[in-house]
Amino acid sequence: MGGGLQLDSPVNRISRHTYSLIEDWIEPGSRVLDLGCGDGALLDRLIERKKVEGIGVEISQSMIVRCLGRGISVYQADIDRGLSQWDDMTFDYVILNDTIQVISRPHEVMNEMLRVGRYAIISVSNFGYIGNRIRIFLEGRMNTAIRTTGAWHDTPVIRFVSLSEFKTSLREINITLVDAWYYVAHSSIHSRRSFLSNLLADQGLFKLKREE
Amino acid sequence: MQKPLVETRSLLLDRPFHLESGDSISPLTIAYEIYGEDPGTEKQVILIEHALSGSAHAAFYHEGETKPGWWDDMIGPGKAFDTEHYRVICTNVIGGCNGSTGPSSINPVTGKPFALSFPPITIRDMTEAQRALLAQLGIDRIRCIVGGSMGGMQALQFFSDYPDQFDSFICIASTMRHSAQQIAFNEVGRRAIMADPRWNGGNYYGDIPPEGGLSVARMIGHITYISEHMMQEKFGRIRKDKDLRAIFRPSFEVEHYLDYQGVSFVRRFDANSYLYITSAIDNFDLVTSISGMGRFRGESRARGTRLTTLETKKGLVISFTSDWLYPSEQSRAIVRFFSGLNVGVSYAEITTEHGHDAFLTDHEQQTHLIRSFLESLEHAQ
Repeated sequence: MGGGLQLDSPVNRISRHTYSLIEDWIEPGSRVLDLGCGDGALLDRLIERKKVEGIGVEISQSMIVRCLGRGISVYQADIDRGLSQWDDMTFDYVILNDTIQVISRPHEVMNEMLRVGRYAIISVSNFGYIGNRIRIFLEGRMNTAIRTTGAWHDTPVIRFVSLSEFKTSLREINITLVDAWYYVAHSSIHSRRSFLSNLLADQGLFKLKREE
Repeated sequence: MQKPLVETRSLLLDRPFHLESGDSISPLTIAYEIYGEDPGTEKQVILIEHALSGSAHAAFYHEGETKPGWWDDMIGPGKAFDTEHYRVICTNVIGGCNGSTGPSSINPVTGKPFALSFPPITIRDMTEAQRALLAQLGIDRIRCIVGGSMGGMQALQFFSDYPDQFDSFICIASTMRHSAQQIAFNEVGRRAIMADPRWNGGNYYGDIPPEGGLSVARMIGHITYISEHMMQEKFGRIRKDKDLRAIFRPSFEVEHYLDYQGVSFVRRFDANSYLYITSAIDNFDLVTSISGMGRFRGESRARGTRLTTLETKKGLVISFTSDWLYPSEQSRAIVRFFSGLNVGVSYAEITTEHGHDAFLTDHEQQTHLIRSFLESLEHAQ
């Protein structure tokens, strides 16, 4: 899932920015599940720097092979089919980075994340970002910069969501926003302030928990 | 390229070998083969565990033979288990009929084959025999223990009994315990053998063996080893013989195929061994066998210490999408169990139409996974 995207798109710089923001949220020595872990780069970093106990979930066999080569524990599964492999509250953090856009049942997946883990960390590409608005306004089409990869009929990206829509929908499924970063991927700009974020940030990173 | 040759060797253990049943065997012969032996170099050891009908001959060629060992696609220079880097060992299970002591061996007390006087054996007895062999060979550390099907059961058992001796395990198309359906298939196979009058209570040695019964058992096995889709693709309703009067003689391709599998099996396998080994498989229950510290082999230690030991261990569990005999869910249960013990377990489900037999035939994808897995163990050093 996320793996495919990381390979054939200029996502690497997005990744590095997102990785450092995620890393700041992770308590050392915690248990982490990374959904759509791709080649395991994020987990590798968290294991090295935060000494976490990490497991990745991936659907692609070639990415599984790369995770194994890194010595990362990885589990081949389709996230959309649920996380029944894990008991309630097995993890401290369940990460969904660069993956929500390829999931067909995001709410079910988010509920599952907060069943097996205390916190969910989700990165969201902002469809409402000003750059996207301008592209659509001028060109009248969803180009690959918006879609990230592939043509409309063969891209794995099927969910287009803006940061404000994402946050609104959290309330419907009783999930609380604990913390958030709004940022521009290809830069070092990031902010915790949500004012105008739906216009000015092309990425959002959310730390979520179950409403008590 | 010149065919790499190998010989089956055997070790004679002249002290009594104690079984889980309380019985013992003396003397015990263990047949084994070693690949990638490089005198003078220190190589890590890979231990290969065979399935129900396998043997110690996992790879390379026996002198004068045209067919290599049963997992030759996976073992050899540049292959998944690279003999340039590893010393690879495979042994024949006890109770078997390919060199290790089993029901067809001569009982030294009576001078006749054991037949049913051979004591019942378990999966743990199989791995304990290998432990005795390893001790004789002076090997106390194994980089990886690996097996498919019944071989996977042995890998899990051996690893769980002596985690200190292993860095990792790879368990392919296997389970921690048989389901009712799996036991049922085995029972039909056993009944087919015992219903053959030539079986004669197990006393057929020196006479014609129960070929009919054993070949039916093997035919049932083969139906479960491949997927419905593959069987349909391969044979469909193709007939060799359209003579309607030939009724009750094999006429469909699939009947000929099963007939061939049955007939060729009876030439190389002992019916009593089939009974003993399938029973060991059915009785295998990993969780029961290792729960309760009193029943752990090796030095007894506090549970906490033991779990810490397991934290540095790695496991790889592989299943196949079309394997309906050992369905993926059983492999996922293995992952859950060992993750719970803090072993770093990974899981891969290979998409294939080849059913349970895929562990023997689909070597390409298995090779990618296994090579990466083993490489990471090197880096962890």
